[in-house]
Parts: sequence; C-alpha cells; structure tokens
Amino acid sequence: MAYQLYRNTTLGNSLQESLDELIQGSLNTYRFCDNVWTFVLNDVEFREVTELIKVDKVKIVACDGKNTGSNTTE
Amino acid sequence: MDQNNSLPPYAQGLASPQGAMTPGIPIFSPMMPYGTGLTPQPIQNTSSLSILEEQQRQQQQQQQQQQQQQQQQQQQQQQQQQATAQQATSQQATQVASGQASQLFHSQTLTTAPLPGATPLYPSPLTPMTPITPATPASESSGIVPQLQNIVSTVNLGCKLDLKTIALRARNAEYNPKRFAAVIMRIREPRTTALIFSSGKMVCTGAKSEEQSRLAARKYARVVQKLGFPAKFLDFKIQNMVGSCDVKFPIRLEGLVLTHQQFSSYEPELFPGLIYRMIKPRIVLLIFVSGKVVLTGAKVRAEIYEAFENIYPILKGFRKTT
Repeated sequence: MAYQLYRNTTLGNSLQESLDELIQGSLNTYRFCDNVWTFVLNDVEFREVTELIKVDKVKIVACDGKNTGSNTTE
Repeated sequence: MDQNNSLPPYAQGLASPQGAMTPGIPIFSPMMPYGTGLTPQPIQNTSSLSILEEQQRQQQQQQQQQQQQQQQQQQQQQQQQQATAQQATSQQATQVASGQASQLFHSQTLTTAPLPGATPLYPSPLTPMTPITPATPASESSGIVPQLQNIVSTVNLGCKLDLKTIALRARNAEYNPKRFAAVIMRIREPRTTALIFSSGKMVCTGAKSEEQSRLAARKYARVVQKLGFPAKFLDFKIQNMVGSCDVKFPIRLEGLVLTHQQFSSYEPELFPGLIYRMIKPRIVLLIFVSGKVVLTGAKVRAEIYEAFENIYPILKGFRKTT
C-alpha cells in the first residue's frame, strides 16, 4: 500500500506546528471542523495601551467570513 | 524503558561477531536483531486498548529478550573464546580496533562496563551487520549509530468511523473534508500526528521509536474508542523508518556519483544532496557535502544500521581533503 497520498496535502504535513505551540505556549486545545476554528488558551494576557487583562482560560471561536474572520471570546 | 545490565533491544543481536552466525537462534537473525516485539513473537491480540496494559506488555517483552539474551551471551562467550584462539592476528587486531570504536558506541548509547575478567561483551558491536571477511584487516565498524527521527505506521481500527463526530468531540483534531478526507489528530506524548480515515484505518507519524509508534497508535485508538466507536487494534505495521547521522567529515559528492552512478543521482541545481538508492538493504540515503546522512525506506531498524555500515567505507573513500 502506498501512503504517499497524504504527503501532497498540506493538511497531512506532520510538522506538528500546533503541537509546538502546545508545548511552548499556552494553547490547551484546538479544533477545526466545518471551517470553524476553536481554540482554548490558558494564562492569557490581553494587552491594550491603557489596560492589561489576565485570564486563566480563553475560548476563541473563529469563522471564515466573506469580509474578515470574526472572533468571539468568552 | 531502562535496561540495566544488557544491550538495548536493538543491539542485542550485535553482542558478538558470532551473534549473527550462531545457528539455532532464529529470533535474533542478523537482519532483525531488534523488533522481536513486533514480528517474530506470536501475535498477542489484546482486545483491550488500555495504555497501562500496552506498557506492561512492552516491559514483559523486554524482560524476555533480556533473559534470552543472557543465555545467548553465555553460549557466544564460549564460542568466542574458542574462536579467538584459532583466528589470525588480523582478526584480533580488528577486534582491538573495533574495541576502541565500541568505546564510542558505549559513550553514545550504553552505560554498562564489561565485567572484569571476562571478554568484552561487545567487541565489535556493528560488524555482524556487514559480511565478515577475515582476510581483509581493518574493516572496522564506524562507531556511529544512526538515530531514528521518524516512524510511520498504520493500524486498522476495524470499524467505520464518523469523522465529523470525532472532529467535534475529540481534542486537538482538524477535519477539512474539502481539502483532505481524514481527521488529523495530535497527541503530546509521544509527540505524534495521526490521520484517521472513515474506513477505520489510521496512519501514525512522528514517533522516534517502534515502541513509541505502537504506544501512540494505541492512544489514538483509545480516544476513538472513548468517543463510542467499537475500535480494535488490528494489523499494526510499521511502514517506514527514517534515521540520520553525521560522519563528521565533508564528502566529494561529484566523485561518488561518478563511481556509483547506477545507484546515485546528484543534481545540485535540483537538490543539494546526493540520492543513493542502495539495493541491499533496500534503503534510500540522502548524502550531503557536510557529511550528514539521512536514511529512509526501512521497515526494521536493522536495515538502517546495515545500510549505514555499508555506505560508511564508501564515504570514507570520498572524504574531502581540502
């Protein structure tokens, strides 16, 4: 059996970039289904010019839109 | 996975020059000194996908290998003592020289010292993999062990899967059916990536050893099982192994492609490495000017080691002197 077919797809690329982020950064989990990305991050700092907000857990849901991707955080 | 007093599993068949030649021990044939956990043993179809059971099973196999290895070593030491008394001095010189090489081997992988008063357990750890020609002196082992970088394996979970359910409920999963018809899942330990198809078949990539690949595949199977699918663990097979090492000297690739043109292809404008397709064993090597070598296409670890031992004297002949 030839398992070469997956090598041509960028999705099948086992560079494991996501896992690198898992190990180094604060990415807890990720999911991609129906063109929707869902991330769960831990120990996140939201930094604005005036404010600094620190959060234990952040869930990011990102959809592909025609204009731009829209984000909602909880 | 600690081994206290014996060789790592992959080097068990290499304990002595006679290791490859000793009849009646088929499990440790020269082509497969390691891998008894995968093929020659009777297949244990554990229906449970428990990780604890998997690790225990791996440890039991290592213990069995150690016991058998100890028996084998006793036989080999007796034969060795008889043989060295009869062999020519060149052979002894080879063993002395490769004893030095074995020191390099020790420093890289082993932590044990030879017992005092006994013949060294590993006088020439890597020569059994090459055809032994006592007439030619100084066919030393390289003392360099290629390190495994990637193992690709496949397993059949034995049931149809609903990929959307898996992608939605499992962690660290990607599923984009327009792009690729499989779920791409990753786990941290062992750090691997799996492609899971709706037929129930799965590809596991990224592990650094055979046992890690099998353990990772079992972890993915258990994730699928916990999502409610009747997952099994059928026909686990390692499809490809990739290793790499460094000969520590620059190489004249032009010269190599001239003399070995039926095996080599070297197009520096296309790719900076020379692609050497070895016939026996069937391994592809990427050889670079820096002296780094990548070996791929192996089904078992021994093929990587054998291919490197075959290419090393050739590379030495094309060492850059400037």
